[in-house]
Amino acid sequence: MNLLDIRNLSIELIGKNESTLAVDRVSLAMKEGEVRGLVGESGSGKSLLAQAIIGVLDDKWRVSADRFHWRGKELLHLPIEERKAIITQDVAMIFQEPISCLDPTTTIGEQLEEAIDSSQLTGNFWQRRKQRKEAAVTLLHKVGIKQHELCNKSYPHQLTEAFCQRVMIAIALARRPMLLIADEPTASMESTNQGQIFRLLASLNQLKNMSILLISHDLENITHWTNTITVMYSGQFVEAGTTEQIFNKPFHPYTQALLDSSLNANSNVPAKSRLMALPGSIPILQHLPIGCRLGPRCPRAQQACVAAPKVKNYHGHQVSCHYSLRDSYK
Amino acid sequence: MSTLLSVSNLSKTYKVRGDWFKSKEIAALEPISFELDAYQTLAIVGEMGSGKSTLAKLLVGAELPTTGKIKLNGQLLAPGNFKQRCQYVRMIFQDSSTTLNPSLTIGQLLDEPLKLNTNLDDLARNKLIQTTLLKVGLLSEHMNFYPHMFSGGQKQRISLARAIILSPQVVILDEALAALDPSLRSQMINLLLDLQQQMGLAFVLISHNLGIVRHFSDDVMVLCNGRVVEYGKTSKVLKQPTHTYTKKLIMNQQLQVTTR
Repeated sequence: MNLLDIRNLSIELIGKNESTLAVDRVSLAMKEGEVRGLVGESGSGKSLLAQAIIGVLDDKWRVSADRFHWRGKELLHLPIEERKAIITQDVAMIFQEPISCLDPTTTIGEQLEEAIDSSQLTGNFWQRRKQRKEAAVTLLHKVGIKQHELCNKSYPHQLTEAFCQRVMIAIALARRPMLLIADEPTASMESTNQGQIFRLLASLNQLKNMSILLISHDLENITHWTNTITVMYSGQFVEAGTTEQIFNKPFHPYTQALLDSSLNANSNVPAKSRLMALPGSIPILQHLPIGCRLGPRCPRAQQACVAAPKVKNYHGHQVSCHYSLRDSYK
Repeated sequence: MSTLLSVSNLSKTYKVRGDWFKSKEIAALEPISFELDAYQTLAIVGEMGSGKSTLAKLLVGAELPTTGKIKLNGQLLAPGNFKQRCQYVRMIFQDSSTTLNPSLTIGQLLDEPLKLNTNLDDLARNKLIQTTLLKVGLLSEHMNFYPHMFSGGQKQRISLARAIILSPQVVILDEALAALDPSLRSQMINLLLDLQQQMGLAFVLISHNLGIVRHFSDDVMVLCNGRVVEYGKTSKVLKQPTHTYTKKLIMNQQLQVTTR
């Protein structure tokens, strides 16, 4: 059974006169123990999608979906309290820039202890304080921090960014979630630290069978760590499939362009040659093109592209394009 | 051909408060020397705290060097002489949205370096701004726009326009490509390479993305804790790294790309 099954999710920004469709009918399904990458450039609605999953979008946004199932339960129809209970129990999220997400005025130890649920503690009330402390230390050990005493006593600004991200992951793990949403966990981090964080996430995935939704703006950074990838552009679904499918035979011109622009993957390109690049820039939310939003920038665009394409499924490789590159591989 | 930029024994130490009355010295950058020709790009690679940003600051003159000399076209760039330096050495920063003054239009933004450094009259300045905007792939109408009306990629182009408007000889790119989205990054790289060919610019590229470094630069310098651990032709250094630190950097990035 799918852990998370979202079909045709739309997120609208409600305005005075008209509302803007920020995310336009995006589907996403996750199995247990899967690492899925969600790739899109800025303004593609990937963070909105993550926020919609954990349900933190406020009244300005209207979320509607054909199906929004969490382990077989339709979440959108549940009353808000029940939904909250399910989500806080099973889903956790970590953000980019960990230093700004941690409370600067309290120590790491206190923040960790705060995150630990009382129902996990078994002892009588006089034993709980000690148990809570021990649980916090175990959490730190789980994310690979050995100097727990030093770490517990320090404030976020005293730790490096990679350490803070580890603490964030530890806090996220406190409820033993089934799904961890990592929203650009390594943005603005050095490459050595990036490797550490990704390795930690991968080990958590394998040891605890935790599903991870890895959100990133750069396709090349996450391909090593994911089983499946979903690509979004400007709020629309582009392509989804296994990492090999996306990486070796992309069907959508946009995915192709992303791969072409990745310099690490194409190290055989002669130095200082011109790179393949899509013309133009990402459309802003106020002036979205009709139909396929890639249309004005797409090298394969034709007249039919003014109507939004339907999602086609080829053996689990889904693509949303009228003129997909599928025929060119035969 | 004579070298454009030659740096000899450049170093920087910061004084911090130590025990009692003694002050401790921290070497942010140990003495380094290198040379850079026109049409060439030098990439500087290193981790946080390796001194790469310090080197950039020293080159543009935002910090005074402790020792060493910077020569441009055989002429000594005196520390503190900004009139001379502003013209020829320009810099682009990582986050373009915070480096542009939000209360000025693009025309006014680009006018500022011209007013400060040239004796051109209004008409000539206006003309120059328009041609520079066209050069970086924007329109001359964009002169009357404010920075917030542009997207991230376009803002980076404006920063580039501000850097090249005085026809400099050296442009320093401090992580200028890191914050851009992949499709815009390729555009920007293409634009930078074109400008290098047209204007004979020398770039000093500071980056931690080795893919960009491989594609973009001729020479590469690997810094670690303020010390140069490796310096040579990019193709050679990245193919056959000799120092363990360089090997570690390359390993880390290759790992990310290979699919399972």
